Amino acid sequence: MNNKDKYIKVFVESFSIKESKLKKDLKYNTIPEWDSVGHMSMIGKIEKAFKITLEMDDIIDFSSFKTGIKILKKYKIKV
Amino acid sequence: MIDNVTSVSPGKFAKGYKNFTNNEWFFPQHFPGNPNVPGALQLEAMAQMLTVAITTIDGLKGKVTHALSHEVRFKKEIFPGQRLDIITKVNSWSRGICEGYGKGLVEEDIVCEANMKITIPEIFIQYIPKR
Repeated sequence: MNNKDKYIKVFVESFSIKESKLKKDLKYNTIPEWDSVGHMSMIGKIEKAFKITLEMDDIIDFSSFKTGIKILKKYKIKV
Repeated sequence: MIDNVTSVSPGKFAKGYKNFTNNEWFFPQHFPGNPNVPGALQLEAMAQMLTVAITTIDGLKGKVTHALSHEVRFKKEIFPGQRLDIITKVNSWSRGICEGYGKGLVEEDIVCEANMKITIPEIFIQYIPKR
């Protein structure tokens, strides 16, 4: 599975959504599932999928599907 | 909903018990002629014991905890005069969220069990995106 597929899978599984919901850049708190608890669950799955530990500021800034892709670049992960 | 904590390893587990005497406030109404311990209170006992496992970690004493989500199963009734032995285990503790498991036993029979998620909001809130 490539990085893009892994990344999409995390969102689909964390929030029980279809992949099509990610096309228009899903943002924090725009769906009921991406609340504060859903956010931490998603972060945990990101870290597990890519074998990284995100810094606190990056967890706070990880506020959308697209922003997350930019953040992962810092960790040398290209999605 | 705990009388005594008998054993604790901070961040790992906590064990103890709750005695349900004949004089508990809820027995007359739950239910007349057939008193038994409400499920919500059994869950509360397990959740409180899990909280002990977390708030005994260095630096966390006295911190306020909130429940996030619980999945509970009730297997047998608990009657006046019985003692509920409570065993909880921390599965993970990270960034203010604890996921754990608890079970309640009466005379070695499991009467309730739960997968629980609790949080220390003071810690958890630091990781939430600002809108």
